[in-house]
Amino acid sequence: MSLSQLLLTPFAGALLVLLVPGNYRVVHRFIALVTTAITALGAVSVFAAFQPGIAGMQFEEQAAWVPAAGFGFHLGVDGVNIGLVLMASLVAFAATCVSWDIEKQPKLFYILLLVMTGGALGAFLSLDLFFLYFFNELALVPTFIMMGVWGRGENRNYATFQITLYLTLGALIGLSGLALLYSQSGANTLDWVTLKAWLAEKPLSGHSQNLILPLLLVGFGTLVGLFPFHSWAAPGYAAAPSATAMMHAGVLKKVGLYVLLRVALPFCPAAMNHWATPLAVLAMGNVLYCGWVALRQRDLFLLLGNSSLAHMGFCFLGLAAANVIGVTGVVLIMVAHGLLAALSFGLAGHLTKVTGTSDIDKLGGLLKTLPFVGGALVMAFLAGCGVPGFANFPGELTVLFGAWKSFPIFVILAAWGGLLIGGVYMLRAIRDLLHGPLRDGSIQGGDAGPWRRVPFLVLLAALLYFGINPGSLSDRIAPSAERIALVKSISAPATVAATAHAAH
Amino acid sequence: MDAHAAQHAVAASSAFSSRPEDLAWFILLLPLIAAAGIAFGVRRSPFLSSTLSISATVTAFILSVALFLAFGLGGYASSPSPFSWIHVGSLNVDLGLAVDRLSVLMLVIVTGVSALVQIYSTAYLHGDPGLSRYFGSISLFTFSMLGIVLADNLVMMFVFWELVGVSSYLLIGFWFEKPSAADAAKKAFLTNRLGDFGFLLGILVVWSATGSVSFTEIGNALGGNPTALGGLASIAGLLIFCGAMGKSAQFPLHVWLPDAMEGPTPVSALIHAATMVAAGVYMLCRSYVLFQAPGAWPAHLWFLGDITALDIIAIIGGFTALLAALIAFQQDDIKRILAYSTLSQLGYMVMAVGCGGPDAAMYHLTTHAGFKALLFLGAGAVIHACHHEQDIWKMGGLWHRLPVTFRTFAIGTAALAGVPILTSGFYSKDAILVAALDGGHPVLFGLGVLVAAFTPFYMLRLVIVAFFGKPRTDAARHAHEAPMAMTWPLIALAIPSIAVAWFGLGDFLSAHFNPHFHAHEGGGLFGPFNHAPLAAVFGTGSLIFGVTAAFGIYWGATTDPLPERLGLLSRAMRNRFYFDEVYEAIFVPMHDMVGRLAAAVDRWVVSGLGIRGAHGSVELAGRALRLLQTGNLQTYTFLFAAGVAVVVFVATK
Repeated sequence: MSLSQLLLTPFAGALLVLLVPGNYRVVHRFIALVTTAITALGAVSVFAAFQPGIAGMQFEEQAAWVPAAGFGFHLGVDGVNIGLVLMASLVAFAATCVSWDIEKQPKLFYILLLVMTGGALGAFLSLDLFFLYFFNELALVPTFIMMGVWGRGENRNYATFQITLYLTLGALIGLSGLALLYSQSGANTLDWVTLKAWLAEKPLSGHSQNLILPLLLVGFGTLVGLFPFHSWAAPGYAAAPSATAMMHAGVLKKVGLYVLLRVALPFCPAAMNHWATPLAVLAMGNVLYCGWVALRQRDLFLLLGNSSLAHMGFCFLGLAAANVIGVTGVVLIMVAHGLLAALSFGLAGHLTKVTGTSDIDKLGGLLKTLPFVGGALVMAFLAGCGVPGFANFPGELTVLFGAWKSFPIFVILAAWGGLLIGGVYMLRAIRDLLHGPLRDGSIQGGDAGPWRRVPFLVLLAALLYFGINPGSLSDRIAPSAERIALVKSISAPATVAATAHAAH
Repeated sequence: MDAHAAQHAVAASSAFSSRPEDLAWFILLLPLIAAAGIAFGVRRSPFLSSTLSISATVTAFILSVALFLAFGLGGYASSPSPFSWIHVGSLNVDLGLAVDRLSVLMLVIVTGVSALVQIYSTAYLHGDPGLSRYFGSISLFTFSMLGIVLADNLVMMFVFWELVGVSSYLLIGFWFEKPSAADAAKKAFLTNRLGDFGFLLGILVVWSATGSVSFTEIGNALGGNPTALGGLASIAGLLIFCGAMGKSAQFPLHVWLPDAMEGPTPVSALIHAATMVAAGVYMLCRSYVLFQAPGAWPAHLWFLGDITALDIIAIIGGFTALLAALIAFQQDDIKRILAYSTLSQLGYMVMAVGCGGPDAAMYHLTTHAGFKALLFLGAGAVIHACHHEQDIWKMGGLWHRLPVTFRTFAIGTAALAGVPILTSGFYSKDAILVAALDGGHPVLFGLGVLVAAFTPFYMLRLVIVAFFGKPRTDAARHAHEAPMAMTWPLIALAIPSIAVAWFGLGDFLSAHFNPHFHAHEGGGLFGPFNHAPLAAVFGTGSLIFGVTAAFGIYWGATTDPLPERLGLLSRAMRNRFYFDEVYEAIFVPMHDMVGRLAAAVDRWVVSGLGIRGAHGSVELAGRALRLLQTGNLQTYTFLFAAGVAVVVFVATK
């Protein structure tokens, strides 16, 4: 499957759903499911066909659009986005599966979900930054609508308002950064490959870099939930329907990081050096501060939302380290966290629907009545506090290794946040939610049946696969990460490097 | 990188036939296969699950013994990995297996005890609805433990280290509906995490100084340049030791182990006597090369002077040994007495490592694994017989009601107490006392002798109170011997408790750590009295003292006379010197307070940055909501259009 086919599939699905009259509910579901399944399989095949060890773009496709302004349609994957594309399509498939029960206006819901999927894929696949931005916005609009119409909880309206305002403003600030990049580079294009070559010859002046980078960091950082621009995230996910929370927390949130990796790092290297320490400080805001906030949450969704923000802190730390190990770690976490966030929000949605509440204080002992969902949730919680075997562990470990030389103190703090604070709130959640005596005897049954397990099993399988064999990702990522990393490789003591070399 | 992987693949494919060390792969993977088989296949049938798990472990045990015989005489081999874990820049981690005396010995211990414990469990947990989950978890645990044993680099060791933490979490919390078990599981995991935090930082320090995480390469680097770790040498050692402090439950991270007794008793025998808690000691021995490097402190820690990391380790170990023995004096729960005894013995081992005797530590680890597993399984048989009564003062007169349990328990007690010549425990404990003497730590030697007197005291207290006198409850009066599946493992474990020392295991281990080692002349059974008479005589003397005291105080007693005699000290011992209370009063509220503060700030300040002003926040929100409900999408479209306009403006400028 070519990249353009992969990208068009969800949009074609959305169009098909649109054409089917509103009362054929089963058909809508079926089309959405088949579409995302095809997309997922296509992404798997692209991932498998991707040649590890090559730094450059693969499967490139190009078409001119506004040649005068230098905008063009350009798709391609390298190590940085190949895993994200795979992750996005798996999550989209899972999100469609868990939306099976949508009763209210299912047609519109599926159209929006498919547009969101297409937008997310488009953002990751587009090498022209204009299209990257466009697709990201295209995916964000359905997010807001879905929250407003299908959301849950009392704070829904306020949360929707907050997330809309934050993300729109964030995107605008980021866009102004991209616009500045366009005007200052003199390359008359936003095509990444061209820009990269152009800027290698004529780097941006320090002044321009110092203008552009803060805009990118604040703008796209907000989209990720960079401290202190994070307060939209947890209430937003608590209010969003399961599928939307899965897609946004899992996939769309990563676009901000992706842009920072793609653009900020290679195009503003001098400014990145300058801003590395402040960025690392803010990363600690995510890891520690959001971790502590998570410690106090008694609502399952708020807990997951804050823990997801804490994980993003590791990404920012790796970004600040800006060496090949750190950057590879960031991408590993992005993939892992996408799968994990989708899994946790999906399971939490199921649990909330069965029990009628997401208040941890009202629940307890659920592992007994919901063996599958409970067991999967235990695994998700454990993955979330960095247990090996799940993909998050190699990612966070790699970031810690990457950042160690530049930011030892922050690495110590991050390790504390990940191992201890994360451990405390995750294990506390297992203890209060799943272990202990059953709090509400009225809950009988409600565990996921065989078909309902499929999305969770898919996500778990991917988490375990990349957790046990992270090399399958990192071997793809590392060569491309080398191209965008600022510090090309950490110099090891000469004697040891020599012996290490001889040993291989 | 590709060539590298291909090379590995070739090595792996050609190797299985010709090299004995590659057997280790089967040993490692068999329990994992069993765990996966249970999870994805036979979990509906407890019988099939237990059969699968037991047969995998028994096979692994047989292979381990074969490997021990094929390999036992020395050397080091590493079985290269057929698969690379992660290779990025200067971070290179493969799953390779280290096969040498140290690891093959541990393989035999882990698979052997695990197999016996599993056989025992089929009877002990007969009819439990979660039996398949139990065997799945225990297989996963065995796999993780074997991974620690075989890992040839620090990162892989850390990976399995964490997995051991998780699988022990699952096993301690096996009866998760019970709040006390669920709490204990959580506490064990988090306390271990505290140690892992240090361990991870230690790995980072070592990696950045030597450029590698592989034990062999670190050894080479330190061999070529002993000061490669610079001013962080001692810090690195202590950080790595933090991991051992968690797993081996050393002071001040010892609080989780007694609570972990909430898990099923066979689990206690496996995890909290023979394997997981031994992992810390094993890890110290495996990474001993780090501690041999000359110590150095960063400039601002100058006041530590000549104190080395090993000194601190020895002191912590010795202190733990003493502290735990004192607490064991006044415990009434049969499992808790054994738990504190385990702590005390682990302290011994850690002290031995610190005194420069990793061989003595490994020796004691080996003998202790056998007799402590025996004691725990024996305690399980007693508890089983007394209808889940664990208070020794509610037992009594069990010796003729549970003949097999009593005899094997007595052998285990003798070994733990260190009865000379007859038991293995004597030789390994003697080795530790000798290490303390030879290492130039007379104070620690004295402390070791003191603990050697305490050990028989509290153990005989247990035996006298529980097995002799008149039955004090109906449960004890009607106790009857456990089924074959439980007594048989007891007998199997009693044999090494007596015999293991006769095979020169001590010399075997000494030769591992010291290539120039020569067996002492005049070795054999009376060896200790010949070549280090001071330690042997003191060890024996303290045994006699402890035994006499225990008989004097407890023979015929129906209540504990110690609280009256010791007063406050006894209360402190009973209450574990209030460590749990102090921790709960300090650490938990501290983190919670910070969390509370952060949550409040998040609610009122950070949100305010974006939307709610300090003034009129409600009003603003209300107005904003109206905006949202009537025209949010238009607003959004407007903003989006504005964005596009900016681009177009800049583009056409």
